Amino acid sequence: MLENINQTKQEFTNELQNTHDLQQLEQLRIKFLARSGRIGGLFEGMKTAAPADRPMLGKALNELRQYAQLHYDAKKADLEQAQKPKEIPFDLTLPGRMKNVGTKHPVIQVMEEIKRIFISMGFSVENGPEIESDYYNFEALNFAPDHPARDMQDTIFIADKILLRTHTSPVQIRVMEKQKPPVRAIMPGWSYRNEAVSARSLVAFHQVEGLYVDKGVTFSELKGTLVAFAKQFYGSSIKYRFRPSYFPFTEPSAEMDITCYLCGGKGCRICKYSGWLEVLGSGMVHPHVFKAVGYDPENYTGYAFGMGIERTALLRYGIDDIRILYENDVRFLKQF
Amino acid sequence: MKVSQNWLKKYIDFNLTPEQFTEKLSMLGLEVEAFEDLAKKFDKFVVGEVIERAKHPNADRLSVCKVRTGKNVEQIVCGAPNVAAGQKVAVALIGAVVPYNQHARDGKPFTIEHVKIRGVESSGMICSEIELGIGKDASGILVLDTPAKAGTPLAKYLGQNDVIYEIGITPNRPDCLSHIGTAREIGVLVNKKIRLPKIVLKEIKTSASKFAGIEILDKDKCPRYSARIIRNIKIGPSPKWLQDVLTAVGVRPINNIVDVTNYVLMETGHPLHAFDYDKLAGHKVVIKTAGEGDKFVTLDGKERTLTSDTLMVCDGERPVAIAGVMGGANTEISDATVNVLLESAYFKPQNIRRTSKYLGLSTEASYRFERGADIDITVTAADRAAQMIQELAGGEILKGVLDAYPKKRKPVTVKAHAERINSVIGVSLSKAQIISLLKKIDLLSRSISKNEILVTVPAFRNDIMEEIDIIEEVARIYGYNNIETKTHAAIDFSSNVRNDEFQNGIREFLIGSGFNEILTIGLQDEATMSLAGKKPVMAVNPVSAEMAALRTSLVTSALKVVKHNQNHGVKDLRLFEIGNIHLLTSEKALNSLESYKEEERLLLVISGNRQPACYGNISQPVDVLDIKGEVSVLLSKFCLDNYSFIYYDTHEILSEECVGIEINGTYAGFFGKIKKQIADKLDIDEAVFVCEINIETLRGGWVRDRKFSPLPKFPIVTRDLAFTVDVTLPQRNVEDVIREAGKPLCMNVVLFDTYTGEQTGKDKKSVAYDLEFQSPDHTLTEEEVDSVLKKIIEAVNERCKGVLRG
Ligand SMILES: [Zn+2]
Repeated sequence: MLENINQTKQEFTNELQNTHDLQQLEQLRIKFLARSGRIGGLFEGMKTAAPADRPMLGKALNELRQYAQLHYDAKKADLEQAQKPKEIPFDLTLPGRMKNVGTKHPVIQVMEEIKRIFISMGFSVENGPEIESDYYNFEALNFAPDHPARDMQDTIFIADKILLRTHTSPVQIRVMEKQKPPVRAIMPGWSYRNEAVSARSLVAFHQVEGLYVDKGVTFSELKGTLVAFAKQFYGSSIKYRFRPSYFPFTEPSAEMDITCYLCGGKGCRICKYSGWLEVLGSGMVHPHVFKAVGYDPENYTGYAFGMGIERTALLRYGIDDIRILYENDVRFLKQF
Repeated sequence: MKVSQNWLKKYIDFNLTPEQFTEKLSMLGLEVEAFEDLAKKFDKFVVGEVIERAKHPNADRLSVCKVRTGKNVEQIVCGAPNVAAGQKVAVALIGAVVPYNQHARDGKPFTIEHVKIRGVESSGMICSEIELGIGKDASGILVLDTPAKAGTPLAKYLGQNDVIYEIGITPNRPDCLSHIGTAREIGVLVNKKIRLPKIVLKEIKTSASKFAGIEILDKDKCPRYSARIIRNIKIGPSPKWLQDVLTAVGVRPINNIVDVTNYVLMETGHPLHAFDYDKLAGHKVVIKTAGEGDKFVTLDGKERTLTSDTLMVCDGERPVAIAGVMGGANTEISDATVNVLLESAYFKPQNIRRTSKYLGLSTEASYRFERGADIDITVTAADRAAQMIQELAGGEILKGVLDAYPKKRKPVTVKAHAERINSVIGVSLSKAQIISLLKKIDLLSRSISKNEILVTVPAFRNDIMEEIDIIEEVARIYGYNNIETKTHAAIDFSSNVRNDEFQNGIREFLIGSGFNEILTIGLQDEATMSLAGKKPVMAVNPVSAEMAALRTSLVTSALKVVKHNQNHGVKDLRLFEIGNIHLLTSEKALNSLESYKEEERLLLVISGNRQPACYGNISQPVDVLDIKGEVSVLLSKFCLDNYSFIYYDTHEILSEECVGIEINGTYAGFFGKIKKQIADKLDIDEAVFVCEINIETLRGGWVRDRKFSPLPKFPIVTRDLAFTVDVTLPQRNVEDVIREAGKPLCMNVVLFDTYTGEQTGKDKKSVAYDLEFQSPDHTLTEEEVDSVLKKIIEAVNERCKGVLRG
């Protein structure tokens, strides 16, 4: 009997394999699965089996019936599917449903990168007002009244001794007034100059100011910090130099130049054929500035530096007219 | 400032290429901004000697010349009629670039190459004046003086072998505003001392003091006034060499007297002024301040109004010069001038600066006086000029210099500590090393204690007043690039690093929402700014009327951006800006910082279509619900539910579609649609929706530290409810009543449809809501939900006259 069951299973499997249309399948069903079919016959035959064998045989028979039904159903589904007319596949080349794409202003991107580098060196970020007094913008920064150094920064005035800050340096004074050393901060923001608008200059621009005051801060360390910054920002292979300069609020003062990365130092239009690009101004905080904020210049030394963001952005993105930065043409903005 | 290399070489010997000169001087703090190598123009041009001239075998008008150009003899075909053997001529050798092509219409420069002219080899060209760009004669070749040696570079022969440098001198270094001053710095580079010009005066016996007197009435503004008198001079043009050197450094030659004063100015840096002595009434010079409102005509012919602060040089009767700024027309040197009084004075820098600023008149003289001239040099400069005048214009120098110097300058000494020098710079120099570095720039110093030196500062270095100035000089001469590059800064973490973390969060969020960040300048024209309603802070000296007002709102500048983009065909806009605005809090005390308030604001702008043009996107213009959606999402993201809206608010720039925003009960800003009149005024053709929020207030509502609340464990039961209400009733009223009545089990109310039509009638509308019910502690039963629904329906009926729809 058991042998018979196994043989039936084998025959069913073989025949199912050779079934290629629904008609054949129906014949197969009648042959094996119909009430009067082979499997039904086997169930009939079980009645004649020894009672002791019946449970075992019943189990095997049930398994066979389940097996046959399952494979029959699957085959049927396959054949029916094959018979249906083919569906047109979805056109995956249709464009995706587009969303509006946001962008960050290139000046802000440069600003954020500069901030990120200095924050990673332990600098905090401080702010100050754009409308400033003569005291914070000039006097406390050691610009003597009636001194030609004031000509270095053409000023827009709001009222007598009230002006739009010409640099972010007044924030240095505000930070030192409210905080005792050590101070290590950068101060980003808008500055204003009374200069005619041109491809190279705008009335308003962003600066980032930096200040570090503590015991034992040296010019040597100023160089170290700024070189570390420049290598991160402009690339580790840049060459640099520090050139004596003059700012009333620092002494000694230095301009930092890096090799022009557009021409590699050979000289081009952007670097005015010098091979060098001036990237920031810096120096040791002048003792007069310390006196103005009540720091003891005998006890503390410090360095300060400042750089223009727009100029940096122009160089970075290869833009040759500064005015495009503030036209905010979306076709321009979307490039960043 | 322009300096000439040849001129510099009168005072110092150096042998540097223009590139080396630029690099080295810049590294010393005198930034060489540009240079022009005049000889470059005549590279590969030499003096040649025509040894032999023969007729060209194939062309009547051409000659074949053998020309000695130094060691070589070249064969050159020449077309000029005047070429002859024995002549010295200007030869352009192979590779030379001839500045002007007299045979081409455009005259473009061309390069000399080996050529065959009608079958005869030619390796060079004999040039005419016009071809060399030094004259207009094109009729034949330029014939040079016979003593010229063949092979001499032509530039040298023409005196065009100079290099002109443009140097940017920082305001603290007026001593470098001259050739001698610059030469002194070059001395540091080449380790040499400068040679000062030798002055030998041939004075006559008659004493100058008999002919003029000097009286200083304002000794504070004029600490020293020296003068010389030269009689019987002959006015005329200066010799060519003087005209050439002045022209080379950008000074226009005038006549021999004025040119000498300018030459001495460029040589020594000391401004001089020459008066026509015979026009000085009473033959005296009085230095005093002007009367308030006095008028004076300067030698440029302009009438100037003076103040009681303006220092004047006067004669016995009237003013004759604005001291240190410009002379007067009344005593100007003219062709008829015979006798000259030469002024060499020192004026107080601050006063000259005020006068120059006040008059809006800056001259070579005022530029130097306001930075600080050398008070010790007045007599030397006068003597130097007197000597040159005599050489160039003849005349007699009266005996003695007139020198009013009421209070002699005391020698300035500065103490410096070696330790301090080392600790500021970060080097370890010995005292002896410091002394020798300073000596290179004429700062003589001596040791006065174990650790201290005393530096004597010459009068021309008026920028050196204290120890830090000495430290700077040591660093500069030691060389910034020789200072080690160190970092040892101890790390400390400050609290403020997160200061603009909030703004950055907003930025990133909006970028993710498809907004483009814009940045606009905070200065606008007053008319546009006044559209925003508030009186703006105004600049008193604006760059232009377009940039005279500080913005009181970010909206107007952004509308201009909208306009710009529309003009360029970009109409679908989603923009944001984070920027400052300025408000005037008091119009009375404009001189006080307290009267100005700065606020940081966030601005959103949307206009055009809601979705980018693309297959599957519906092109539908944005409306007020779009801006409301953006604002709601932003506020919910940062402030959770700490905000609310004030519907039907008003704002100067918004139409009636205007909503106010409150954060934690404080007014924070607004959103809505731009008024049509304003859009029209700015010529904007599409509806623009904006939102402006005060960043500080927004930050106030920011829930930075989030707390976890457990997720609900029991299932949500949802039900729909639709009511018919009066068409004018804001749905929000219904929604609020549902929320209120549904407490605490109704967790969420979402409007999903509004409808006005046949079924409701014109005066009514249907509002339909999805309601969600949930309990934190058990699964809700049908009965529980039904009883809440009943309460809700009653409340809507009672408070909104809302009728439940079946
Ligand atoms: Zn370059």
